[in-house]
Amino acid sequence: MALLSVRNLHARVAGKDILKGIDLEVAPGEVHAIMGPNGSGKSTLASVLAGRDGYEVTQGEVLFDGKPLLELSPEDRAAAGVFLAFQYPVEIPGVGNIHFLRTALNAQRRVKGLEELDAMDFLQLAKEKSKLVQLDAAFMNRSVNEGFSGGEKKRNEVFQMAVLEPRLAILDETDSGLDIDALRTVAGGVNALRSPERGMVLITHYQRLLDYIVPDKVHVMAAGRIVRSGGRELALELEEKGYGWLGLEGGKAASAAGARR
Amino acid sequence: MTAGLAHYLDVATRFQASPEQASAPQWLRHLRAEALAHFERQGLPTTRDEAWKYSRLAPITEGAFQPVVRDARDAAHLASVVERLSLPGPRLVFVDGRLAPELSSVAGLPRGVTLKPLRDAVREDGALLESLVGQRALAKEHAFTALNAALLEEGALLRLAPSALSEVPVQLLFLTRGEGPVLSSPRILVDAGESSEATLVETYASAGPAGAGSGATFTNAVTEVTLGDNASLHHYKLQAEADAALHIGALHARQGRDSRFASHAFAFGGAMARNEVHAAFAGEGGDATLNGLYVGQGAQHLDNRTALDHAVPRCTSRELYKGVLDGQSRGTFHGLIRVRQDAQRTDSRQQNRNLLLSETAQADARPQLEIFADDVKCAHGAAVGRLDAQALFYLRSRGVPRAEAERLLTYAFAREVVEAVPAGPVRTNIEALLALKLPGAALREVKA
Repeated sequence: MALLSVRNLHARVAGKDILKGIDLEVAPGEVHAIMGPNGSGKSTLASVLAGRDGYEVTQGEVLFDGKPLLELSPEDRAAAGVFLAFQYPVEIPGVGNIHFLRTALNAQRRVKGLEELDAMDFLQLAKEKSKLVQLDAAFMNRSVNEGFSGGEKKRNEVFQMAVLEPRLAILDETDSGLDIDALRTVAGGVNALRSPERGMVLITHYQRLLDYIVPDKVHVMAAGRIVRSGGRELALELEEKGYGWLGLEGGKAASAAGARR
Repeated sequence: MTAGLAHYLDVATRFQASPEQASAPQWLRHLRAEALAHFERQGLPTTRDEAWKYSRLAPITEGAFQPVVRDARDAAHLASVVERLSLPGPRLVFVDGRLAPELSSVAGLPRGVTLKPLRDAVREDGALLESLVGQRALAKEHAFTALNAALLEEGALLRLAPSALSEVPVQLLFLTRGEGPVLSSPRILVDAGESSEATLVETYASAGPAGAGSGATFTNAVTEVTLGDNASLHHYKLQAEADAALHIGALHARQGRDSRFASHAFAFGGAMARNEVHAAFAGEGGDATLNGLYVGQGAQHLDNRTALDHAVPRCTSRELYKGVLDGQSRGTFHGLIRVRQDAQRTDSRQQNRNLLLSETAQADARPQLEIFADDVKCAHGAAVGRLDAQALFYLRSRGVPRAEAERLLTYAFAREVVEAVPAGPVRTNIEALLALKLPGAALREVKA
């Protein structure tokens, strides 16, 4: 059974139709890349899946593990195993990174009927996971994302994913704005988290990410639809020919879809 | 004359005419009588007075509050309350406005540091007291200060000899039992000699008999601080009285050359609580920090006023007041900064930020800058906002339930004021009181 089934999903933001019939099936263990020009609806799809306010689903459905996902609150989706790595991780002054993450993990564990981790056990776990993305301890004591560089924020997203161990990870432009060293680190972390039970959806604007995280399937989105799906070779073709090759100019698609955020 | 005014005049007149007070020193009898005249002349303020517009005074003017003779019931319960609220170090405890010697201890005061109940000071340090009482807090300008002076009897004197240093905090703990309409009128006097340094904590809390609901009480406190040249006072006011309590407090500080005054005012309790902090620079090079945190729920009214008087050049002031308001509570901040013509090179910053947690909570921010000098740096800002929706979603997307996420963000907002308090027993005490007010909030974090 598919881990994630998106069926004919239509969604609008502020009265504008952005998603116009998305179909997507992600099986456990698979890594899907969704590419597309700016304004094609990629980030809207991520936001709708994670449950962000302000998105109105007008048609279609999303099943996670065979159960309707869209009626769940964001925290219930997280507890069910959905994780969104934010395109723009939010700075939260005054909330400690490590404390926030322990609160989140324990909240999820409570839902699953598992015992909460005490501070010491959690710290041990966090230290171990932080090695994946080379975050040091001082960094974990700071406020959530406050004053972090772009690369640090993205590493922090992957670190959180490593600690929370979701069943489905949606990475929304996690590669954007990263220098190659940071990209390697982030991709290394993501690759280490690939597993036969876990599905991943990489949303990206740039083919470069796929040199470091090799997807099982590639989808191209334009103007609110998936216009082409294929294997990894599709990404290479895109790199070579650009989005224009699909008969959809990036700029045109963007104006058709309207503002994304 | 309103019934409220008549009541308090009667209370003060009877107090002053009592046989016990007839034997008070002449200067004190004179001071009280003069204050009573000032009180009568001014009358009780109403919300029509601009300075009292936001203070809901009806329960005070309507309530028949009066001073009481303390009884000794419930000693074990009171001792447990004191145990919970007290800090390590010397302290004076007052119950329903009356000194409770059996709960107090001034052991461990460093050399050069004197802490004594006001009654003792009246007897032993008359001349000094006469030179301090009413010098900063002017009865002729403030009706409640006048009422406090007209009933002046209880309170404390903290005196620091030149260069004296008290590293342990000195605590004054004011407990109200809420068993009757009690009026407490403490007067606190601080006289800090040149280059002395101390920490003073005023804690106001309720201590009803175990299990009993607390009735309305009225605390009308006045603190007068005189800082000598290069002296330093860290002052904390922790007001965590019961929901029914009414509280009016005014602190007036006069700062000598190069002195430092840091006021941290925490307002958590009371149906109506007004706290005023006035700092005046009398010598160059002074530094004042006025911080505050008010956390209102239900129908609480928390009114905060600060006034900084930059009368001389080269002084620095920093103000940060934050409000967290839920339910139908209302919080106000009125911050006056006056920079007089001669006060060149003044450096002053004021910030007031409010977080509204409900649709019905209300915040009023009123910065007021009066600048008559031209070579100054003055900045102020005021903001009223709600929890950041992006941050809330971020936390929830990681699995933190909404209510918990809201608490985390609320505490994150408040902690800036808490963390301006140096780590130590005072901060721990504040964190504990805040935890009672914002249950479930994360107060401590384990360091990696």
